[in-house]
Amino acid sequence: MRETDSAVVLETRGLEVATPAGVGGLRLGPVDWRVSSGELWVVAGPHGAGKTALLETLAGLIPAASGSVRVFGHPVQGSGDDETTLREARRRMGLVFDGNGRLLSALSVGENILLPWCYHRNAGPAEALTELEPLIRHLQLGSLLARNPASLGRSWSRRVALARCLALGPGLLLLDNPLAGLDAVHLRWWRGFLAEARAGHPILGGRPLAIVATTDAARPYLGMDPRFALADGGRWRILPGIDSVLSATGEDGTRNSG
Amino acid sequence: MASDPILPAREPGAAGSPGEDAGLLQELLEGWRNLTGLGAFTLITLATARLRFRENSRVVTPRIFGEIHRCGVRLLPLVGFLGVVLGLVFVGQTASLMEQIGAGNFTGTLMVTVFLREMVPMTAALVVLARVGTAAVIDLGTARALGEVEALEALGIDPIHYLVVPRVAGFAISVVSLSLYLLVVGLASGYAFAYARGLKASPIEFLTQVAGALHGLDFPLSALKTGIFGTLIGLVICYQGLARPLSLADVGAATTRTVAVCGVGCLMIDAAFIAVYLLL
Repeated sequence: MRETDSAVVLETRGLEVATPAGVGGLRLGPVDWRVSSGELWVVAGPHGAGKTALLETLAGLIPAASGSVRVFGHPVQGSGDDETTLREARRRMGLVFDGNGRLLSALSVGENILLPWCYHRNAGPAEALTELEPLIRHLQLGSLLARNPASLGRSWSRRVALARCLALGPGLLLLDNPLAGLDAVHLRWWRGFLAEARAGHPILGGRPLAIVATTDAARPYLGMDPRFALADGGRWRILPGIDSVLSATGEDGTRNSG
Repeated sequence: MASDPILPAREPGAAGSPGEDAGLLQELLEGWRNLTGLGAFTLITLATARLRFRENSRVVTPRIFGEIHRCGVRLLPLVGFLGVVLGLVFVGQTASLMEQIGAGNFTGTLMVTVFLREMVPMTAALVVLARVGTAAVIDLGTARALGEVEALEALGIDPIHYLVVPRVAGFAISVVSLSLYLLVVGLASGYAFAYARGLKASPIEFLTQVAGALHGLDFPLSALKTGIFGTLIGLVICYQGLARPLSLADVGAATTRTVAVCGVGCLMIDAAFIAVYLLL
């Protein structure tokens, strides 16, 4: 099903993000938020502010302390969520983890990319490769397919993780610190990708994606016209523009890092 | 909560102190939690296998064959060697000795009771556990610690269906098949050894004697027992490696726990089957 450009993709109500099991305690919230297709949201905040936990809660990987999350209308957290709705929601969103993207170390790069397509379409690798070849070429991963994920640098691992998410044609992309630690070439590529994914690229089905990216520093997003939110000290705030984010994250030099 | 890294010095003669009793109680509770956790994990795995038997078959079925290759086919040389050794050590010596003391008629009964029912299933299970099981716990535990299981879930892939079901099926099929292989090799090498030491029975007579001692339910029960051994090993491996949050530092302890739980579990299942055999 194609979503209209202005369709609400992600909606949270009174969401309280809990830390992963074992640590305990509330971390961030309440989060009342709507993300529509074609929007790029940047969630800024210092280390330990709960940004990763927020993404994992949105993806249904960790339970929320309270509140609800709906993705494409499917309950992910709160009343009405069950295995079926969660699975359906996950098929329509992609989560790229921080660092090396948590690629499966037992599989090759190519197998990592093809796995979700093969699994959900009950198809063999040859069919999947034929189908996903344009995407793989667009992400410049063709020469890496036979490689072991452990042999890749972090920048390329993250791009493979992105390809793995895009294989199912999601409408919502959750990116955990995607621009952190990239060299200039990779940074330029990612900025270009975010712009085209947001606008709707033929390789991604032509529909505009909703994108949520977390970051420690907002400066790499300058000039991309995103919308900003800030997670800091357990509080969630929607910020009006890049200046207020730079000020809140201390990137304008007005805030002490300590 | 992390425990205090600086442990208080143990006082001499403190055994049985309230602190130790509390520790023992805690271990018993931990053991009980493990047991109930494993029970729940088993039910979830069986339910997933049953409900999603035909789903995603083009991904899951090759993984089952991959596990059979890893746990079964690749162990054929080692199990074959063990079969030869067991044949020489037990079958050959026993057959030869029974002949010497004039009790050759009981050779078949002894082979069935000790070799087929007890030694073969337990040996096959322990070989699979030691050679493949420990490595599998490390693989799964590392994947869990590195967050790969969450990555699968985020992709809408059920980790039980993708990681656990193929492993359990592969272990069960492999232990059953390796047991049969071990039995054949063991009997053949044992007969060859006994023949070399003066056994007068021909191969046909030897096999007839063994077959005559077999009960009609021996093969089905042996297959069931070895299948349960393999299923148990696969479940414990996946439970210890996957079902609980692990850090990389916990993987070694999870491996040790797996070996202990599988060893004790197989012995308990074996004891239950002895009771069944006594009723035959």
